Amino acid sequence: MNTLKQNPFVHDSDASNATEETLRLIASLPAPEGLEKRIEAGLRATPRRARILPWPMENAWVRAAAAAAIVFVVVGGGWGVVSLVQPSQPARGIAVPTVAPHGTAPGGFSNAGAMRTPQTLDHPVVAQPAIVPAPTAASAVKPTAKPVAKSTALTGKKPLHKPVVPSAVPSASTKKQPETTRP
Amino acid sequence: MSAGEAVFSGWMKIADKTVCDEACQHAEEEALSALVSQYSGTLYRVAYSVLRNSADAEDAVQEAFMRVLRHRDTLSEVRDQRVWLIRIVWNIVLDRKRRSKTRPETDDVTELARVLPAGGLSAEQRAAAAEHHAHVLACVEQLPAKEREVLMLSAFEELNSVEIASVVGITESSVRSRLFRARNLMAGLLNHARSLR
Repeated sequence: MNTLKQNPFVHDSDASNATEETLRLIASLPAPEGLEKRIEAGLRATPRRARILPWPMENAWVRAAAAAAIVFVVVGGGWGVVSLVQPSQPARGIAVPTVAPHGTAPGGFSNAGAMRTPQTLDHPVVAQPAIVPAPTAASAVKPTAKPVAKSTALTGKKPLHKPVVPSAVPSASTKKQPETTRP
Repeated sequence: MSAGEAVFSGWMKIADKTVCDEACQHAEEEALSALVSQYSGTLYRVAYSVLRNSADAEDAVQEAFMRVLRHRDTLSEVRDQRVWLIRIVWNIVLDRKRRSKTRPETDDVTELARVLPAGGLSAEQRAAAAEHHAHVLACVEQLPAKEREVLMLSAFEELNSVEIASVVGITESSVRSRLFRARNLMAGLLNHARSLR
């Protein structure tokens, strides 16, 4: 059976009393003389509350004006710096190709005086004669009367075919001008 | 009201505000002075129980009131100023204790012999008492930090377990369990030291 002396986890009253006595003795030590005065003197020696902006900021109008002025100065300064430092950037968008002038290759590059040489053939190629169909009688017939008349006037021969004579019953269009349609 | 009138009235309010600032500042100074005169002794004892050096303890109290001065705007929001101040100085002294680990332990005995009350004791008895207390305090130093802090704060009659819990930042039940463990450990350490003698 464990006794208080044998079990180390059961606190000994003597040891506990000794500890309590020592700690209480330390905790009850009187403060040194003049402690309060020294502390108050130290507090008085500290600088007053520092103000970053000692402006009167009670009124909403003044506060808003001050805020607007600060924003204006900051944004304006930033814009000035950016506009000075930042290089001009190319315009955003799709570049439309322009029509190249004469002597200039498309894309804005010149041909530097180079001439295009066609590709030469490897060997001569015999061209096949074109088959021309024999002229027939039907193909020689001139469809209109005027060339026929001209040809007859030149040759003095009779025409092979009779000239086209308007029909006895003229059409509606030819009925109005009978003189002009007469040969 | 036009903008000009509004600005003018604002400036008039500004003048009133300046007067109010001075009055408020004077009131704050008086409140701080009252705190110093009321709690500087308690704070000094708390600081001395950890640092065991009167100059260091005084510096710690001074620093604690400097922090109060810095945050005096929130002074009116503090519920229990005594516990709040003890908590401030407690954090300061623990921080200083952590930094000054290189201080020789023999200073404790010398300092204790100097500050302990004579009480009609002879020089030899005073030296023996100082040695005994220094030995007990050396055993206290061997305790784990959590248990040691609670044990040291429990020695102050001004603080109950709820206030100790508020200073350390734990629950009251944790304070009691830590205190129980601390006392058991102290008993073991002291008995071990006695058996070695």
